Amino acid sequence: MVSKKVTLVNAQGFHMRPASVFATAMGKYSSSVTIKFNGNEYNAKSLLNIIAACIKCGSEIEIVCSGDDENEALADAVERIESGLGE
Amino acid sequence: MRITDLLKKQGISLGAAPAGKREAIDLLVSLHEKCGNLSDTAAYKEGILAREEMGTTAIGMEVAIPHAKSEAVKAPALTAITVPGGVDYDSPDGAPCKLIFMIAATLDGDVHLEVLARLMQMLMHEDFTAKLKAAKTPDEFLKIIDDQETAQFPDEAKAAPAAKKEGYRVLAVTACPTGIAHTYMAAEALAKAGEQMGITIKVETNGSGGAKNVLTAEEIANCDGIIIAADKSVETARFDGKPVYSTKVADGIHKPEELINKIVNGEAPVFHSDKKAEAAASTDNESFGRKLYKHLMNGVSHMLPFVVAGGIFIAIAFLIDSFAGVPQDGNFGTGTPVSAWFKNIGGAAFNFMLPVLAGFIAMSIADRPGLLVGIVGGALAAAGNTFTNPGAVDAIPSGFLGALLAGFVAGWLLKMLEKACDHLPHALEGIKPILIYPLAGLGIVGVMMCAVNPIMGLINEGMKNAVNYMASQPALLVPVCALLAGMMAIDMGGPFNKAAYVTATALLTGASSDPSDPAFKIMAAVMIGGMVPPIAIALSTTIFRKRWSAEERKNGPVNYIMGLSFITEGAIPYAAGHPLQVIPSCLVGSACAGALSALFGCTLRAPHGGIFVLPTIGNPAMYFLALVIGAVVGMLLLAILKKPVKE
Repeated sequence: MVSKKVTLVNAQGFHMRPASVFATAMGKYSSSVTIKFNGNEYNAKSLLNIIAACIKCGSEIEIVCSGDDENEALADAVERIESGLGE
Repeated sequence: MRITDLLKKQGISLGAAPAGKREAIDLLVSLHEKCGNLSDTAAYKEGILAREEMGTTAIGMEVAIPHAKSEAVKAPALTAITVPGGVDYDSPDGAPCKLIFMIAATLDGDVHLEVLARLMQMLMHEDFTAKLKAAKTPDEFLKIIDDQETAQFPDEAKAAPAAKKEGYRVLAVTACPTGIAHTYMAAEALAKAGEQMGITIKVETNGSGGAKNVLTAEEIANCDGIIIAADKSVETARFDGKPVYSTKVADGIHKPEELINKIVNGEAPVFHSDKKAEAAASTDNESFGRKLYKHLMNGVSHMLPFVVAGGIFIAIAFLIDSFAGVPQDGNFGTGTPVSAWFKNIGGAAFNFMLPVLAGFIAMSIADRPGLLVGIVGGALAAAGNTFTNPGAVDAIPSGFLGALLAGFVAGWLLKMLEKACDHLPHALEGIKPILIYPLAGLGIVGVMMCAVNPIMGLINEGMKNAVNYMASQPALLVPVCALLAGMMAIDMGGPFNKAAYVTATALLTGASSDPSDPAFKIMAAVMIGGMVPPIAIALSTTIFRKRWSAEERKNGPVNYIMGLSFITEGAIPYAAGHPLQVIPSCLVGSACAGALSALFGCTLRAPHGGIFVLPTIGNPAMYFLALVIGAVVGMLLLAILKKPVKE
């Protein structure tokens, strides 16, 4: 299992469009991808889960990946969030 | 933010059958329009369509949530439709959508994200979505949402209705420089408008008696927004993060509905008490002149009690001495132990006038760090220290003008200093307010005042000489008195009025104890100029009844009391309602009274108080005559200018 903390830079927070981009991207990996935020865990492969977390701009979240391709999944997730998820 | 707060019955359409995605969107947008959530329907719809272009908002499970953040949205809101037959919404799973929510969000705030998050949390319960799709009536639809929301967020459901009952939707603070009339008139107008509009409102008044009906932190946290209707600075740090709409106190009196609507419709910008944002916001919203006026008034309103109380004490001392038959020389006013007591205590209050004036002007500009530089600057102006005469021995003080300059320049310099200190290492943050600002500020103000004092001293002397010269020429004193008295009536508490008043009080402070000093005549003219407008209006409402509406007539008698107490502000509602008739009439009436008061040789030693300072008025019978003539002139002019109203 690997994990890393990142800060969300999107001005609007983790809203529907970035969430759907992110969930789709994470769905490609066989590892489980989880977002830890505010003491809760959310499945990062589910659009609904990500949005339900209500993550606002500037929030620090922890990405946790576990599985065969956990390193690739984590690197991809961190890169996407830090680059603003295409916004 | 509860879903049921955002979704109204009229915003729900059940059993719709749109032919396609485009038609479904049209229906949801029209529901928003019907609920009055939008200021520009076309712009909002464009936002929705632009969002769909970027990718569908269908989220699977036969649900779609189209949404847009737009300035065309008045307040955050939701609409919803159910489509039993399903509609193709480019869903990721390819299935048609049967339940569609549309979010309208304002540009500021995270409401958009919070609503989206909450909807998602609720929609994850499949039985909930199933129940919604099967709902028969909008009421049932809303009840299903409410029940689900209460089940999922139980704490808030209990808290929300309680807060609703006790809390206020809109809060307001009213304040004016004098804090006697405007503050309360604005408060009443706002409270009345709120009641009529069915919106709970609480108004804090920052009047001369201190803040009344003070807003609590809890009320601030629970309200929709705060209206500040004030012509002086009010404590705003407590409103951090809430929508705040700032305006002048007059708007509170004349357009309370408009102000309340600004808050209710979410048009007020969110306030951040961080200094940079505050500076930026005030540059945007207020002209330079208005800011200048606000700073000046912050100083004047804090100085006023010192002037009034000190002035009356000193006047009492003079009164006692004139009864005691003490020789009217330089020691007049301290001839008996009792009068000496009054004179010295009054003098102690007077001594704080200039420091308080400068201190609170600087504080209005540069916040708390400004207080020290302003107060010291004012004290230096009062003492007259210069580089060649640092001990201010027999110095010429730069007086009132110097104190004004000290307040403004010290305030602005300190503000620049604060900005310059932004670049200092973060570790020094803690000692900035306790060491760096005071130390550097004291040095700056000391250098500045020692440079300015000689110049301002010259100007001040020149002004005094000019007035003295005018006083020695009866032909000039009367026009001066007429001018100042007229200025009192032009804006009734505004800049003209204050300019005349401040000049007179400044001269009064510098007056000798010689009863023939022209300062006393000028003060008498200025006070009469402020007393005429309410009395002229009161007379008019009594005698020329047909020219006024029922409400204006009813409020007329109060203006006798206001006028006799030298509270010019009482005339404002009338002047605001009929400016072209009331202001010229009052202006001429006041100028007449001022000229007559000077002609009759009436004097006044107290700077405020109307008939309550009768003992300090010299030649009171003629003063009263001048007042009556001025008021009658004003009333007659008003009768000529103003046409009768039809009822």
